[in-house]
Amino acid sequence: MAIKLEKIVEKFYLSLEEGKIMGRKCPKCGHVEFPPVYACNECGNYETEWVELSGKAKLHSIVLPAALSSKPEYKKMGKYAYGEVEIEEGTRLNAVVRGISRKNRAELTEKLPLNIHASIIDRDGGFKTVVFDLDEEYTN
Amino acid sequence: MKKFGKYSRSVSIIGVGCTPFMYTVDNEETNGLTEGELFGYAALKAMEDAGVNPQDVDFYFHGCASPLNGSNYLTPNVQIANWFGMKGKGSIHHSEACCTGYLAIEQAVNAVASGKYDCVLTGAVEFGDSTPSPADNVETPKHPYKRDKMTMEKFLKTTSWLYDRTYTRSLMAGQELIYDDAAEWYVRTRGISAEDMNKTLNAMCINNRRNASVNPLAIERTTYEELAEKAGMTLDEYMNSPYNPKMGDFLRAGGLELKCDGAAACIVCATEKIPEIAKNLKHKPIEVLGIGSAACEATTPHFEVRATEEAVKQVYESTGLSGDDLDLFFANDFIITSHLVSAEIAGYLPYGEGWKYICDGRTAWDGDKPINSNGGRTSFGHAHAASGLADMYEACKQMWNECGDRQVKKLPKTTMLRGYGGAQNVAAIIIRTMD
Repeated sequence: MAIKLEKIVEKFYLSLEEGKIMGRKCPKCGHVEFPPVYACNECGNYETEWVELSGKAKLHSIVLPAALSSKPEYKKMGKYAYGEVEIEEGTRLNAVVRGISRKNRAELTEKLPLNIHASIIDRDGGFKTVVFDLDEEYTN
Repeated sequence: MKKFGKYSRSVSIIGVGCTPFMYTVDNEETNGLTEGELFGYAALKAMEDAGVNPQDVDFYFHGCASPLNGSNYLTPNVQIANWFGMKGKGSIHHSEACCTGYLAIEQAVNAVASGKYDCVLTGAVEFGDSTPSPADNVETPKHPYKRDKMTMEKFLKTTSWLYDRTYTRSLMAGQELIYDDAAEWYVRTRGISAEDMNKTLNAMCINNRRNASVNPLAIERTTYEELAEKAGMTLDEYMNSPYNPKMGDFLRAGGLELKCDGAAACIVCATEKIPEIAKNLKHKPIEVLGIGSAACEATTPHFEVRATEEAVKQVYESTGLSGDDLDLFFANDFIITSHLVSAEIAGYLPYGEGWKYICDGRTAWDGDKPINSNGGRTSFGHAHAASGLADMYEACKQMWNECGDRQVKKLPKTTMLRGYGGAQNVAAIIIRTMD
């Protein structure tokens, strides 16, 4: 491998169009960068390589949207929350998790961390993005 | 993270200047003030305070969070040097949004500690409440001094520029978590109830306002007690009423910054050169003992907490100090929760107990653990880049025992300023009055 001038962002979004969620794995320490970037933030290795994510994840915190923290476009997601998400490959990031509302918040907070899975959705502006959904065990 | 070294030589703050924080457009006396006038006033007041002449100052640092949007400038440092006698001298502009005024100290101290400069000015100016007229877009030719009010809609739209365009804005969570993530983290990790967090958030607003009510430079000086009385309510009723509506999952309107206009500046000097440069220095130098810094982009979970923990760790390692050594604390609390979480992370308030200190009023200016004695961002005001230097102005004035009737109970010798902003930079600065 060598350091390359490469369109990482474009490939990430084009992969979403194909139904794939891609990260970048460090060949030296195995850490996965998500969202994908050039270098490894765990060990400092210059290079990472493409890896498809399983989509499995855990949710560690719940913050509900409110007047300041929502936008009209978000309404189409239905009920949702923001939180700290740990993907199966180990990386943690802030993300949207659907299926959480004021109604089930207390019950779900008791059960943290929650099993969740990634979904690909359309955003206004003609691109797709990644959100997460609660696993079936919490939705029955 | 590695342990960072000490400065190559001692560096001190010897003079400070600050404008009132204000809505310039709303007042006939201030409507029409420009960048050079605000920054120039703060800079010259800092020089006067230090007993130095502009010709004693080698270089200057200029901070502005959003110069294109708020001032219609790309290189704001170049445009205003003539206003305070520094024509032709070297300067640089920097922007770290709401953390600008704290990293302004880091920039200046590093420059002097390196030995290249002996005496520098570090200042910042922001028109957070207005834009050059007409306020339609940044390309339209602008009037030489007239300004238009910055609408909240435009402000909120332009704050999206703080966040990564490639991923963060697309993923939707990072930019929205700024309002409530720290409150959720505190509730979960300390095991307090949402009701107690609500009470604590309100108490921080009340304390900040009490501090501002006695500070002539603050933008909002009417206490919540007075507002409640006017509305015919008890204080508790008022704080939980539609006068103070819920705007976030935890956050109420009173816990948000009052965006406004203002400028502040400091003179930073090599301690060993003070007798030569500041011959008429009227107060003790305040040494910058150390500065920790960290930055976490907004997809990083609990970005404020994580960056604050790192910056605080760095500054305690480099200075050998701890929270027990601090006499006064400042937190850039444009989201008021910052006030609680950063004071606990710094060990200024005990772990899990800070909320009680706040609710008991112990963190107000006349309490035993004062925080934001100037009124903080929710009452002193938030002229974004200038706020950190305004906090430094207040810290120095308190440490020099120059605050008169609103002087904190115990003369502070050691102070921490926790800067925060720009989605998200954090700085932890420790200063100490020299013997």
